[in-house]
Amino acid sequence: MTGEARQYFRGAPDELLVRPLEGLTLIYHRPSGVTHIVDSPVPEILSQLDAEPCPASTLLARLARQYELEDGEGALDPLVAHLETLCEVGLARAVEPEAKG
Amino acid sequence: MDERGHERKGMDCDADIGAEHGATEHGVGATRRKLLLGGGLAAATAVVSIRPALANTAASVLNCQIPVPDPAKGSGQMISADGKLVPHGTKGAFPASGRPFSGEEVKAALRGGKSLPGTSYEQNRAYLNYIRRLQNGTSGFTCYASLQMPR
Repeated sequence: MTGEARQYFRGAPDELLVRPLEGLTLIYHRPSGVTHIVDSPVPEILSQLDAEPCPASTLLARLARQYELEDGEGALDPLVAHLETLCEVGLARAVEPEAKG
Repeated sequence: MDERGHERKGMDCDADIGAEHGATEHGVGATRRKLLLGGGLAAATAVVSIRPALANTAASVLNCQIPVPDPAKGSGQMISADGKLVPHGTKGAFPASGRPFSGEEVKAALRGGKSLPGTSYEQNRAYLNYIRRLQNGTSGFTCYASLQMPR
């Protein structure tokens, strides 16, 4: 059960209130009442999440289309690490893929 | 890959989140901004979370309940392996839980410590996927949301 196999998505759009602040971004998570102060690349990653779960590799492809990624080949692992962190604090969600394809 | 599908989704996301960042700060400019995903920093250092002092106490969080599924929305339905509500009799799906789970039980299961009480390995995974998919307005959502632990 690796993070790479998980599929990531976001909750309802109105769950999050997002405001830029002095180069950082404040994200208020309405359901939990928690405010998160995040730095790049978190807002960029969140903006790629959709209501429909998709694997990290798809999110990476979306990011690569929009940004010039500086990580080269090694971008997937740090992306998965960020996504897992975001799931832990409730800003993103993940489902385990079905056991059989 | 569905090229058009991704484009559409990307635009939706921009409307939801990107627009609020301010176009100059995080939006897509004429030239593509550089983005560093790794940078040698642990992912956790990019997020600092602040829980309000007046939030519910930890005790009430752990005693809240999450029915699987919401009786108002999933009566007579089953839970698929990926956590969706499916019609009764769907192959590979699991029946509704006989009782709601407490916040404490769900928290322990989400952390991978122990399965939800009375569930098999696959059933536990299906139920947790259902819980992860909970939306606002569904019974158990507020309980699930309050389980998110800021660092």
